[in-house]
Amino acid sequence: MLGRAIAFVRAGVPVRRLRAYGRDGADAYDLFDRLERGPARAAAWNAYVCQTYADKLVQAGERIGLVPFDTVRMVRALYALVDAWLVVAQGGEAAGARLDLELPAWGTPVRSREQLVGMRETLYALRTCVAFDLQGRAEPGADLAAVDKALEAVDALWIERPSPELRGGIGDALASGIRKACVLGCELAGGG
Amino acid sequence: MGLFRPAKTVASPSGDYWELYVSKTALPGWRSSDAGDTGIGQAGALPQLALLELPLALVSFLWSGVLVPLVRMIVLLPVAVVRGRRSHAVRIEAITTFPERKALLWTTTDAHAPRVLDEIVAGLAQGKVVQPEGAVYSGTE
Repeated sequence: MLGRAIAFVRAGVPVRRLRAYGRDGADAYDLFDRLERGPARAAAWNAYVCQTYADKLVQAGERIGLVPFDTVRMVRALYALVDAWLVVAQGGEAAGARLDLELPAWGTPVRSREQLVGMRETLYALRTCVAFDLQGRAEPGADLAAVDKALEAVDALWIERPSPELRGGIGDALASGIRKACVLGCELAGGG
Repeated sequence: MGLFRPAKTVASPSGDYWELYVSKTALPGWRSSDAGDTGIGQAGALPQLALLELPLALVSFLWSGVLVPLVRMIVLLPVAVVRGRRSHAVRIEAITTFPERKALLWTTTDAHAPRVLDEIVAGLAQGKVVQPEGAVYSGTE
């Protein structure tokens, strides 16, 4: 009840509206699994990263029923990227295309508790996916150490009521971990 | 852990003397209000008028430079103390006052505070500003 009152005062977008917006990109989850290693799968991975990130941010706002406007901006930018990367993956345009995913920036240095929860869940999901993709690879090279280090840094700072300075540090570590997982996953999906 | 007593002191190789304070409370800053700017002594004003304006300037200074910031501090301090006690976040401030005042801030958690403090002290003793794991370095305050 108190959470709803706070969200009303802060203002935001209802979770169900954002969920409807993200339904278009739900293919990203399946497509990544279906495709063989190569540029199309790498593009599907980028769509998967954006869909996961956006969904987790929305999910983190469920507790209070509303997603604040700064999160909404991020979520909408991510869903727009999902659509763009799905077109690349499904349309056969991936070969020869630049497959670097540039994740949208937040614009402010300190993240809210809910945003951090969403980012952390995203990093766990991407890490699991990358670890699964790494299984059975004979050649060494890409490894999870950098992603795990970012997760360790986050876990070390994760407390019940973090101060703004801590939230800033956790947010930086999470953003860095997500970027690293994203690059590693793209490399693996592309067959590198 | 105290607000006004340094937890550790250390001297850097260049001779800077650092005091390290560990606390859970972020003290509200002393902020004067702009209301004290009365425009006294501006070009064009008569010197006789300026003399009359002196008591007004004194009252204005006391109001905006002392009273308002003091009341603000008195109101915000208990909030800051309660917030600090409820949190597991710990602030470590390294302060040097000579040749000029400089304050560095790290934020960590209860669990890491002793190790982080030791690493900061060891770093400053070597003239380095370290960024230990389990802490966020916010730079100069």
